[in-house]
Amino acid sequence: MEPISTVESLCPECLGKIGGIKYAENGQVYIKKECPDHGSFTTLISEDIGHYRQMEECFEVNRSRARASLTDVEKGCPFDCGLCPSHKQDTCLAVVEVTDRCDMGCAYCFASSSMDKSLDPDMETIRFMFETVKKCQNEPTCIQISGGEPTMRDDLPEIIRMGKEVGINHIELNTNGRRIASDQDYFDKIASAGIDAIYLGFDGVSDDIYMKRTGKKLFDIKSEVINRCEKAGIGVVLVPLVAKNYNLHEVGRIIEFAGSRVPTVRGVHFQPVFYSGRAPSGREGRITILELLREIEKQTRGQLKVENFTPSLMPHAHCGATCLTVIDSNGFLPLTNVSLGALKSASDVASKTKKSIMGRWRGSEKDAQKSSCGDLLIKSSCCEKPLSQLTVKGSCCEKPITDILPKNSRLGGGWADFIEMSRNSYLTISTMAFQDVWSYEKERVENCCIHVVTRDGRFVPFCNYNMTDCDGKFLYRNAT
Amino acid sequence: MDIKITEQADNLLKDNGVRKEEILDIIKNSESSGQKLKSKDGNTCIAKGASENLTIYAVYSASELLDVYTHKMNILGITGGEIKPVEYDDASDWICAKCGEVALERNVDMSYLGVTRPGPGLVCAKCGEMYVSAGMAKSTLKTAEAILEEKRA
Ligand code: SF4
Ligand code: SF4
Ligand SMILES: [Zn+2]
Repeated sequence: MEPISTVESLCPECLGKIGGIKYAENGQVYIKKECPDHGSFTTLISEDIGHYRQMEECFEVNRSRARASLTDVEKGCPFDCGLCPSHKQDTCLAVVEVTDRCDMGCAYCFASSSMDKSLDPDMETIRFMFETVKKCQNEPTCIQISGGEPTMRDDLPEIIRMGKEVGINHIELNTNGRRIASDQDYFDKIASAGIDAIYLGFDGVSDDIYMKRTGKKLFDIKSEVINRCEKAGIGVVLVPLVAKNYNLHEVGRIIEFAGSRVPTVRGVHFQPVFYSGRAPSGREGRITILELLREIEKQTRGQLKVENFTPSLMPHAHCGATCLTVIDSNGFLPLTNVSLGALKSASDVASKTKKSIMGRWRGSEKDAQKSSCGDLLIKSSCCEKPLSQLTVKGSCCEKPITDILPKNSRLGGGWADFIEMSRNSYLTISTMAFQDVWSYEKERVENCCIHVVTRDGRFVPFCNYNMTDCDGKFLYRNAT
Repeated sequence: MDIKITEQADNLLKDNGVRKEEILDIIKNSESSGQKLKSKDGNTCIAKGASENLTIYAVYSASELLDVYTHKMNILGITGGEIKPVEYDDASDWICAKCGEVALERNVDMSYLGVTRPGPGLVCAKCGEMYVSAGMAKSTLKTAEAILEEKRA
């Protein structure tokens, strides 16, 4: 056993704050922690200490804090969300849940769903949530409208319009796509209200998968959503929830499918299942980032390798991984690679680079008008910001896309430009490893940039918001 | 110098269409002329050679071939014709072994199938020798070459 560091974590039984250590054994990484009342807990964090370390080495971030904190430091992290003044990272993406209702009843959903309309936040509350984001998040402001299933609300178009009125720069919609696929009039209203992107639940390319989770055949519905978004010029990110014994065998085909629908599909964001709320008891479906990446490598026949996924654009080296790839007739040509190392900070080149990027990635005139996203947006969930509006000294998520390319491409965009002009087919493949109470590390949440906005106007890091003890009792969600 | 070629390195050679004798020759020539890049810690070298329309790079240590990469693009020269001072830190992690100078990260003009564009290279300010990094060759240049081949085919 080789100790790596100490960790601050939580007890799975009582959610009390407990300490532990992170260590390597037989090449794998574990967290072992001890509660004075409930004993000790050991959790596998990574199958490969080599990869784990590589992600750390390749990680570099310029942090910026939120514009304003909303709570005080009182009981200590994670009980003061937030954001409290000790939170280290500005919001990249603010999640606003507009309903708990959902029409799906999925087996793994972490949002608690009811069917009671009267429990939905009213317009005034939502406006307040939007305004809180406007007040606290550095520009540009990015919101994901989530739920429940937001399209359960007939007034969703007005909600989106209100967000734009409040001055939110980027608004995306997290949806299962059913209403969009069946109700053209509703979709048109959402589109004209100014939605910037669709974050589409997409667990597989075969109905078998959808039958397992929802008992419904949904593949045609998902395709139809993409068709409609294509016509409307709205970008789509496919969001597969991945679990063993569910759809892990299909990740390669999902990526291939995404590649075939570029540029409407901008990215695939894999979300490994995590155990909170309604997830099945036992954690047998759980996968680590590395397991997922190895599957991707295998299923894309080595076109996308583990080494092509870097922690760039993530708020913490172990929160996730991103790969940017070009697609051509022969398959994928990944542009990112951990061996290229951390990015060298190049402050004075930066402003130049930024200008060239702003020009370069803005996309065609037509696209630029359609959405503020330009043609190529990094759509990993931590990085929903329009590239055309990037600020240089920003949070992790404001890194220009060229920052995750080989360092020296910042010298000049000749051939890189050429590639970009020649083809419009890029895909961002990303994954974020949400934490559960077993894998929980304070260091990760205090650097988190995905924040759920509560109805009383606070920001709670996503992992804290959905954190439960082993009986499903929440730390934050429904706790107020 | 006895350079070992592991199975992995051998596969790289095959992928790049480079013969074993060829790569060993390139290394031998660089070693005798001193025309190569050396990492700052002195443990790794990059030798460059050409065969027909291919520029071949060998990355190696004293005992082993570590990496092989190639580009079809032809390096024409420094973009703008001469090395002018710049405001940013352009020192690379490599040293020109012959001159003992730190190689600079500068744009060089590269041409392929009639298209010429600048791209980042590693340049010795003293002897003017120009190299391309593995990252650049394997990602950007390779992609661009593929696109051009497809377009011009
Ligand atoms: S997660 Fe952030 S906001 Fe919440 S208590 Fe910890 S430091 Fe404060
Ligand atoms: S939501 Fe969780 S996994 Fe994602 S950045 Fe925040 S702490 Fe990390
Ligand atoms: Zn020299």
